Amino acid sequence: MPMVLLKCDKDIPEREKHIYLKAPDEDTREYLPIANAATIPGTLSERGCAFCGAKLVIGGVLKDTIQMIHGPIGCAYDTWHTKRYPTDNGHFNMKYVWSTDMKESHIVFGGEKRLEQSMNEAFDEMPEVKRMIVYTTCPTALIGDDIKAVAKKVMKDRPDVDVFTVECPGFSGVSQSKGHHVLNIGWVNEKVGTLEPEITSEYTMNFIGDFNIQGDTQLLQTYWDRLGIQVIGHFTGNANYDDLRKMHRAKLNVVNCARSSGYIANELKKQYGIPRLDIDSWGFSYMAEGVRKICAFFGIEERGEQLIAEEEAKWKPKLDWYKERLKGKKMAIWTGGPRLWHWTKSVEDDLGIKVVAMSSKFGHEEDFEKVIARGQEGTYYIDDGNELEFFEIIDLVKPDVIFTGPRVGELVKKLHIPYVNGHGYHNGPYMGFEGFVNLARDTYNAVYNPLAGLAGVDIRVPEQVAPILLREAA
Amino acid sequence: MSDCETLVNPSPEVKVSAKARGGVINPMYDCQPAGAQYAGIGVTDCIPLVHGGQGCSMFVRLLFAQHFKENFDIASTSLHEESAVFGGVRRVEEGVMVLAKRYPELRVIPIITTCSTEVIGDDIEGTIRSCQKALKAEFPERELYLAPVHTPSFKGSQVTGYSECVLSMFKTIAKEKTQPNGKLNIFPGWVNPGDVILLKRYMKEMGVDAKIFMDTENFDSPMMPDKAVEVQGQTTVEDIMDSANALATFALARYEGGTTGAWLEKTFEVPNHLMSTPYGIANTDALLRKISEVTGKPIPESLVRERGIALDALADLAHMFFANKKVAIYGHPDLVIGLAEFCLEVELEPVLLLIGDDQGSKYKKDPRIKALQDKVHFDMEVVHNADLWELESRITKGELKVDLIMGHSKGRYIAIYNNIPMVRVGFPTFDRAGLYRKPTMGYQGAMELAENIANTLFAHMEYTKDKEWILNTW
Repeated sequence: MPMVLLKCDKDIPEREKHIYLKAPDEDTREYLPIANAATIPGTLSERGCAFCGAKLVIGGVLKDTIQMIHGPIGCAYDTWHTKRYPTDNGHFNMKYVWSTDMKESHIVFGGEKRLEQSMNEAFDEMPEVKRMIVYTTCPTALIGDDIKAVAKKVMKDRPDVDVFTVECPGFSGVSQSKGHHVLNIGWVNEKVGTLEPEITSEYTMNFIGDFNIQGDTQLLQTYWDRLGIQVIGHFTGNANYDDLRKMHRAKLNVVNCARSSGYIANELKKQYGIPRLDIDSWGFSYMAEGVRKICAFFGIEERGEQLIAEEEAKWKPKLDWYKERLKGKKMAIWTGGPRLWHWTKSVEDDLGIKVVAMSSKFGHEEDFEKVIARGQEGTYYIDDGNELEFFEIIDLVKPDVIFTGPRVGELVKKLHIPYVNGHGYHNGPYMGFEGFVNLARDTYNAVYNPLAGLAGVDIRVPEQVAPILLREAA
Repeated sequence: MSDCETLVNPSPEVKVSAKARGGVINPMYDCQPAGAQYAGIGVTDCIPLVHGGQGCSMFVRLLFAQHFKENFDIASTSLHEESAVFGGVRRVEEGVMVLAKRYPELRVIPIITTCSTEVIGDDIEGTIRSCQKALKAEFPERELYLAPVHTPSFKGSQVTGYSECVLSMFKTIAKEKTQPNGKLNIFPGWVNPGDVILLKRYMKEMGVDAKIFMDTENFDSPMMPDKAVEVQGQTTVEDIMDSANALATFALARYEGGTTGAWLEKTFEVPNHLMSTPYGIANTDALLRKISEVTGKPIPESLVRERGIALDALADLAHMFFANKKVAIYGHPDLVIGLAEFCLEVELEPVLLLIGDDQGSKYKKDPRIKALQDKVHFDMEVVHNADLWELESRITKGELKVDLIMGHSKGRYIAIYNNIPMVRVGFPTFDRAGLYRKPTMGYQGAMELAENIANTLFAHMEYTKDKEWILNTW
């Protein structure tokens, strides 16, 4: 019973193993959904590919680095203008993408010369840029182009440039998750330890698994500045390529997104003995807990308490105002993976919201262990949910708001359900104390949205009127 | 001032050449499978099945959602590593059966290949035969059309991919000529719902029975009281079958669907009229006159008046605000050429045209590009296989000064960071609201486009305090 076979899945019964309905008094360890498994073809899964996990999610965030995508044009086109990660240098990372624009002759005769030419052209056209990541894609992996050898040659010819290579074609793994892994491991093995940082504080850390979505990294950086902690490497929000070569000198690795970036933290621990500390950066209670843990590590508890007190004094009244108006509301979260467990309890504790259904695109079983432990009973936990399942689940749980991507947001709009962008945010940042007030505000504005009520009115039926929404000035 | 120089240019020249670089910085087009997916979603009860990595469909769905603010159903065979090694035809078979079972209304599945599955060499035609056997066994009463669409990403672009998929669906569905139906087949190319609605209105006003392929009117779809989700093309299987019986075909876009018009002529003797894409007044005149000639229906007073209203509006703008303004245009080839012709009608000077794929040998032979030579009184450069860096670098290096950029949203940063007014037109235009609803074709489209250009220039005059007082008395 706790594993659920939805009606729309009667012809793909294996989906039962991926959908769990948490019931009281159950040993949840017995009912972990299968995750990170092969996708069923034709299901209209939400998953992306391993290449995008490396380029779009992690590498493409870097603010000073040419992203050279060795493949046909689509892989570059498609992983450009689809993310909201600004930088403090004018968003170089969002403005440009590079492709070797592979053609048939390169497929037949090999594409290494084309890659070398494209790399040199890119450096020639933007002479101030000296760093590059080269990614392989499905066809260049299949024909066996040696991108590492090409990168070596270009670095030899141009002594002032540094190039990192990521060999992770779209077909590897089952989702974007594989790409996170490949990039993490490649970076720590090939690039970390190749530059030395200037140490300016006795408290140093790497902040791992935060991609500066709508300024998350920059907001949290104000906390680290106030605490006197030097962040050696942000992996990879608003980061420079070279900063991430110095990660081996930090005293602590603080991990936010464990799914995309836990691997590098583990390797830094194994190779350099740097301890790993996992925190949640979304949510008041979680952020305070995170700050306390970090400060405890460095023995600067007082500074931490002062920061928390200042932030709470400033933001808690606003948060509580929203909590008063959001409590009891039902939320669904359909995002990548970790945000399920980052958010379910924080929206419950801080905003009184009940998360009634959650679907993960690329989470692993350990993500489901976390989210099921933190999440509520009567809630659906779905691995790799597909479109028909979403319709059925919406009918079952009737959410007031859905945190998901803009495309699915357009779909649920037709069902008169407002969405909040759970990937790129509506109006973030969402991390930290201030950020969670932003999340609360966007949720309020979505839930208390007059249009959804108006949409339900059939004007041919005289007695139908839109429900009156008591919107108040926040 | 450039006006005088323009007047004395003794031998204005149209220079046509390919981009000199091999690699691409900021692509103008997506790859072939993306275009094929766009053609597929234009058909009712059709879900394209993309045979490749998951990113090949996931990001294209996102792209369509960005442009139309709608969700479209597109499936993937979710090619994983073992298929890349041992072949992926089983994934196609499974995907087709899963779609057929879970979507009982489904009637068409274009099976769209990608770079990876073309490199692997999966036999799509053979797989379709085995799928049809399996479908007959499972659903003896049901006809499901499976169209093989070969769109390796390392050839052509989204433009050729669109054309390829349209042709394949017609070849798969339009099998025989029966009774003449007196209708016109109209292939407008890759246009917005606004253009489809305009063409339908024109045909209605002329009393001409016509089918638009693809009929994408519902890509602008409503929120309805009954929560219906209507986001799909309105071209039916019957419409495609019946295309063989048409009076004539009008192919309005040489590179987008034009090949299908030629195929219908060759196979079913439906006369094909390849027209200049009806952007601007003269191109629209030519189209309506030809339709009138072919159908015997007179051009109605209403369209004569609409033409007059458009001219009346254009006359207010052309020689006062547009004359001698230099314009760069990029986007789909039929659009770029048509817009250049439109610009000349309203005294704008399109000095740089960028067309973005490897089909240069076709563009060089395009009679419309050749004809531009006789029309321009200034030097014009046409760059094919172009990327957006061709535009940006000319501007930042000071080689080109333009007063206006016309193109899609992927080039937005060129305008923003170089302080050049930009009018969004083409696909995608995700950074402006509602453009998919507006026509660009026909008299109304020419008028609305010109007014958009004027208002963009006016806003720029105001923001930059550049003779904004002229508008006091306009």
